[in-house]
Amino acid sequence: MTALIEIENLTVAFRSKGREVRAVEGVSLSVEARESHGLVGESGSGKSTILRAICGMAPVTGGSIRIGGRPVPTPRGRAFSTEVQMVFQDPYASLHPRHTIDRTLSEPLAIHGLPGADARVVQALTEVGLPPAFRFRYPHQLSGGQRQRVAIARALMLKPKILLLDEPTSALDASVQAEVLNLLNRLRAEQGLTFLMVSHDLAVIDHMCDRIMVLQHGRSVEEITRDDLAHARMTTAYARSLFDASADRMLDGTTEPTS
Amino acid sequence: MNLLEVKNLRVTFATETGQVQAVRGVSFSLGHERLGIVGESGSGKTMTGRAVLRLVRPPGRIEADAMTFDGRDILHAPEREMRALRGKRIGMVMQDPKYSLNPVMTVGRQLTEGLRLRDGLGRADAAAKAIAALEAVQIRDPRRVMDAYPHELSGGMGQRVMIAMMLIPEPDLLIADEPTSALDVTVQAEVLSILDGLVRDRGMGLIFISHDLRLVARFCDRVLVMHKGLVVEEIEAAHLLEARHPYTRGLLNCLPRIGGPRGPLPVLDRAGI
Repeated sequence: MTALIEIENLTVAFRSKGREVRAVEGVSLSVEARESHGLVGESGSGKSTILRAICGMAPVTGGSIRIGGRPVPTPRGRAFSTEVQMVFQDPYASLHPRHTIDRTLSEPLAIHGLPGADARVVQALTEVGLPPAFRFRYPHQLSGGQRQRVAIARALMLKPKILLLDEPTSALDASVQAEVLNLLNRLRAEQGLTFLMVSHDLAVIDHMCDRIMVLQHGRSVEEITRDDLAHARMTTAYARSLFDASADRMLDGTTEPTS
Repeated sequence: MNLLEVKNLRVTFATETGQVQAVRGVSFSLGHERLGIVGESGSGKTMTGRAVLRLVRPPGRIEADAMTFDGRDILHAPEREMRALRGKRIGMVMQDPKYSLNPVMTVGRQLTEGLRLRDGLGRADAAAKAIAALEAVQIRDPRRVMDAYPHELSGGMGQRVMIAMMLIPEPDLLIADEPTSALDVTVQAEVLSILDGLVRDRGMGLIFISHDLRLVARFCDRVLVMHKGLVVEEIEAAHLLEARHPYTRGLLNCLPRIGGPRGPLPVLDRAGI
């Protein structure tokens, strides 16, 4: 069986001030259906660019991307958006400030000519744990965590199989982050979703993902499983330096695990 | 004598719907040490930091029973006196270099502006001092950075420029408001060690405001945990893990851990606090 997401030798290059910038260089990865795969690295390591390349928001200058065994079309088109959706980092910037939540959520349905928008909007809000009355609000009337819930609801409107998560909780408070991570895990289990998730926080990636790719300067440095990460079995110095700098290390071994 | 003494500080905003208290009676004192203030958005931690410098704009109002810095009353000091304190004796590093640096001035001009106006230094002397400050925050290529505009710098560089700017006048107290939140973990560690070195070498007092409990615990001597404008717990950083207040415990428990359990993360029980 082929993997759901297959990326082979992906290269993304931009031209900036006459200079070629290679944001991603020769990255290959595959994600099985219902798997949760993490990408970690510092700013500029190309982790977000990989997600954007999958969606067609960054130019693919080399290599190939296949979803469900088929190469992705360019432009991506409607069929693609019923399969793959993205949740962005900043819920303050990713929702249209002058559209009500109702309009934001029903727009994908209108574009695809799907009926029953009214019921679907209510259902989507309930799924992400927001009261249905929120549909008449504007983004500025919601808190950051509530906005990110709306962004997740929007991504799920077309019932995609794959969610691309670009730092979905790094703009949120720690307590709100826990709520959103729990929500994402619950939705993944309920709807059989596949995650490709980007974060700079190793602890978040570790909590959410089965396999993790470490990126640096646009290249893949190391790919490790969750188990290897937990036991600090990384082989490269860079992955270890990320691990050592991770703030949660001070809590290791000093508190009982809470469940 | 303590460097900073704050008694029953309140910050109130008059809004259309009535009075909103952002800070509701905060007291603390600070010596030559690292004090962390932790809390979620809206807990009043930033307002507490700004109130010490009296940087709260109307309709915001600052009240306190007493607020002294180095023995001087800074609650009732005239604005002239406050201006002399700000920057020179009390520095503040703001959260986001993207919004806190002037986008149309080169880094060099921003760094030397204070030196030339306040200290009356000549162009060459001011530039030399600014370059030294950039070196102190471990910027490898200070001359290039001096000529750069803020948008040409990465987040980590911008943050270091802001720290350098605040350190040039050698303040006795530095208020750092989420100085590392916009940075990657490895850069974050670097910036923290720079701040740490400065506290140690210069005997500076530091108020470190952050939402990241783990970071504060690792970096500070003492921690104030704020919730809804009140200090709910004051604790030695080394004993943070033994914190007893349910809010502090909730903040600690909701963080995922490497190698931790996979079940749902415990969320803050807001009703119980």
